[in-house]
Amino acid sequence: MMPLSMAKPGEPVIIRKITGRDEIRQHLAELGFIVGGEVMVVSELGGNLILQVKDSRVALDRTMANRIMI
Amino acid sequence: MGNWPGVTVEKKEGRLRGRKDVVIQDLPGIYSLSPYTLEEVVARDYLVGEKPDAILNIVDGTNIERNLYLTTQLIELGLPVVVAVNMMDLVRRNGDEIDLEKLGQALGCQVVSMSALKGEGGMAAAEKAVEAAVAGRAGELPHVFTGSVEHAVAHIEESVSGMVDAGYLRWYAIKLFERDEKVMESLRISPELADHLEAHIADCEAELDDDAESIVTNQRYAYIHGVVSRAVKKKAAAHSLTASDRIDRIVTNRVLALPIFAGIMFLIYAIAMGGWSVSIGTRGTDWANDVLFGEWVPGLFHSILTGVGVAEGTWLYGLIQDGIVAGVGAVLGFVPQILVLCFLLAILEDVGYMARVAFIMDRIFRRFGLSGKSFIPMLVATGCGVPGIMASRTIEQDRDRRMTIMTTGFIPCGAKMPIIGLFAGAVFGNSPLVAVSAFMIGIAAVVISGIMLKKFRIFAGEPAPFVMELPAYHAPAPGNVLRATWERGWSFIRRAGTVILLSSIILWFLMGYGFEGGSFGAVEDMNNSLLAAVGSAVAWIFYPLGWVGENAWKLTCATITGLIAKEEVVNFFGIAFNYAGEADLMEDASGLYPAIAAAFTGLNAYSFMIFNLLCAPCFAAMGAIKREMNNAKWTVGAIGYMCGFAYVVSMIVYQIGGLFTGETTFGVFTAVALVLLAGIIYLLVRKGYQGEAVRNLRSVSAAGI
Repeated sequence: MMPLSMAKPGEPVIIRKITGRDEIRQHLAELGFIVGGEVMVVSELGGNLILQVKDSRVALDRTMANRIMI
Repeated sequence: MGNWPGVTVEKKEGRLRGRKDVVIQDLPGIYSLSPYTLEEVVARDYLVGEKPDAILNIVDGTNIERNLYLTTQLIELGLPVVVAVNMMDLVRRNGDEIDLEKLGQALGCQVVSMSALKGEGGMAAAEKAVEAAVAGRAGELPHVFTGSVEHAVAHIEESVSGMVDAGYLRWYAIKLFERDEKVMESLRISPELADHLEAHIADCEAELDDDAESIVTNQRYAYIHGVVSRAVKKKAAAHSLTASDRIDRIVTNRVLALPIFAGIMFLIYAIAMGGWSVSIGTRGTDWANDVLFGEWVPGLFHSILTGVGVAEGTWLYGLIQDGIVAGVGAVLGFVPQILVLCFLLAILEDVGYMARVAFIMDRIFRRFGLSGKSFIPMLVATGCGVPGIMASRTIEQDRDRRMTIMTTGFIPCGAKMPIIGLFAGAVFGNSPLVAVSAFMIGIAAVVISGIMLKKFRIFAGEPAPFVMELPAYHAPAPGNVLRATWERGWSFIRRAGTVILLSSIILWFLMGYGFEGGSFGAVEDMNNSLLAAVGSAVAWIFYPLGWVGENAWKLTCATITGLIAKEEVVNFFGIAFNYAGEADLMEDASGLYPAIAAAFTGLNAYSFMIFNLLCAPCFAAMGAIKREMNNAKWTVGAIGYMCGFAYVVSMIVYQIGGLFTGETTFGVFTAVALVLLAGIIYLLVRKGYQGEAVRNLRSVSAAGI
C-alpha cells in the first residue's frame, strides 16, 4: 500500500484503506472515496491533488491525500 | 448538488410562479445529512425540524452515483420526494442514457429530467413536487440495507418507535445506528436504552468487521451502484479525461497555475479599475462623476427647483443640491466600476474557475494559517464585503471561518475605492501606486493578522484539511452571471438610496447649523457647526495618527461617517469642503482635489487612508459579521481587533514615517509606535501556542508523509 499522493496522474487506482478521524473519513466517503472504489489523479500542485472519483472532480490537500491508501 | 462558492449558502424562500399558495424553500447544496459543514446543519435542521410537505431533490445527472447518496438519505426521511435529474443536456451530449422510469421504480419516488442551464424542465419538476405534496404520501422505502445491518436498524426502529414522528422513524434509526451524537441528544435516549442499542450496533460491527458509519456508507454505495448499473448507460469509458480535466491539467499545472491566475486577476482589475483604454469601469465612473452627477443631475434639479420657485441660496435649495445630490451622487458615481468588477467575478464563479483558485491558493494561504477556501471570501470582498463575509460559510472549521471573517474586512472593497481614488487624485498626483499600495496593505494586514492570531491559543492549530468539489467547467450562463452581478451591485445602489440619502441629509444639517454669535441657526463658518463641535470633542483620540490642526475634526467626522458606509467618507469631504465655499462640486467633481490637497500632507493623508481601509467596516458588513459569528463576544472581538489593528498600523506609519519626512519629532508617541512595531514583529516570529491539539494534528500529518 502507498498513499494516494504517490499515484501517477492519469492512471485509475483502487482505494485500499482510508485512515484518520471518523468525521473526516465520513466526509471523504460522502464525496465518493470508499474502500474498493476507483479514483484517478487528474492534476497535482505542490502535493495537493485534483482527483476524479465517481464521475466528479474533488480537490484534496496533501494531508488528506495521504490518508487515502492505494 | 455540489457546493461551490456562489451556490446557495443560506436557505432562501420564494413562491412558485403562478401558484401563490406554494412556498419553495431553497436549501444550501449539501452532500449528505450528516453535518460536516454549516450548510449541512442548516439543511438538516430544516428538513427534520420544519417537516416540509415535499422535497424536490435536484441531482447532477453527470455524476449521478455520488448524488444519489444524498437522495437515499432524503427518501429515508419519509417525506414525499421528487428527484429531478439536472444537466440532462450534458448527459445527452456525452452520449449517456438515464432511464428515469427504472430509476424511479428502484428508488420508490418520481424521477423527472431538467436542465437549469437551458431553463428546461424546472417548472415541470416543481409541479410534480406540488403534486407529491398534495398527495402527501411517501413511496415505499427502498431496500438500501441488507443482512445484519437491516436487522440491527429494524431492531432500533422497534426500540425507539413512539419516541419519534412515525415518518422519520427510519432516518432516526439509521442515525442512531451511526451513533450520531446530535440525534442521541435530541431524543434524550436513556442510558439503559443506549446500552441496548449499543449491543445491536456492536454485534453488527463485529460481524462485518467495520465501524457502523462505514458500514452504512458502504451499503448505501453498494445499493446505489446496483441501481445505477441498471438505469444508466454510459458511453465513455470510466476514467477517461473529460474536457474539464484537460483544462485543469493546464490551469492547475504546477508551473502555469500562478502565472495564469495573476494574469486573470490583472486583467480583471485592468478592465474594472485601471486607467487604460480597456478600462470600461473607470471610464464609466469618470463619466458618471463628471457628466451625469457633475452636470446633468445638478442641472436637472436646478431647473426643477427654480421652476417651482426655490431660488439658489435658500436652505431648501442647499439641502437638495449640496446635501442630497452632491452626497448621493458622489457615491453613485462608483457604481459602474463596482458593477464591472462584480460582473467579471461572477463570470469567474460561473465558469468554475473560482473553485480552482481556492485550490491554487491553498498552498500559499496555509503558510499563514488560513485555508485556500479563505481566499474566495476575500476575492468577493474586493467587490463588496457583505457577500464576502457570507461566502465564508463554505469553510468547515469554525476556527478558520472566524479568522477569515475577521480578516476579510481588511480587503479594500468597492466602497473603499472612492477613498483611495480621492487621495490618489488629490494628494498623490493620480499615482496608480496608491491604489496598488492600498491592496498591498490589505493583503499584508490579512497575512500579518493570520500569522499573529495563530499564535494565540484560541486560533492555534492547523487549518482544516482542504477538501472541495470542483464543478465541471462550462460556458457562463448569462442569466446566472447577470443575477449575481445585480444582487451584489444592487446592495450597493440600494444603500445609496437609503442609508446614504438619510445620512447625507443629517450631515448637511449637522454641518450647516450650529451656534454662532450666541444663537442657533445656519452657520457661516463651518468650524462653528454642530458637527465640528462633536468632531473636535473626540478628535484627540486620533492625535497620534497625525490628524491635527483645524481639519482634525473633519477627519474624525469623516471616519465616523465611514462607519455608515465607506463611500460616505468621500461624500463627507464633498459636503465638508464644498459647503465651506472652497470648491464647487457641481461644476467639476475634481474640484474637491485642491481643498483636500491643502488640508492634507502626504503622510497624514496616508495615515488617514490606512486607518479607514483597515478599521471597522461599514454597518452592513458589521451586520454580516454579527450574523456569521452568531455570538456577541466574537462580533465585538472581531470589530475591536480591526479597529485596534488599524489604529496601531496608522500610528506606526505616521510616527515613524514622520521622522523621515520631518513631520514629527521624536516624542512619546514615536516611542509608543516603536514599541508597538516591536510587539508585532515579536508576535510574528515567536513560537506559537503549543497545546495538545496542535501537537496531535502535526503528528498526524507528519505520520502521513
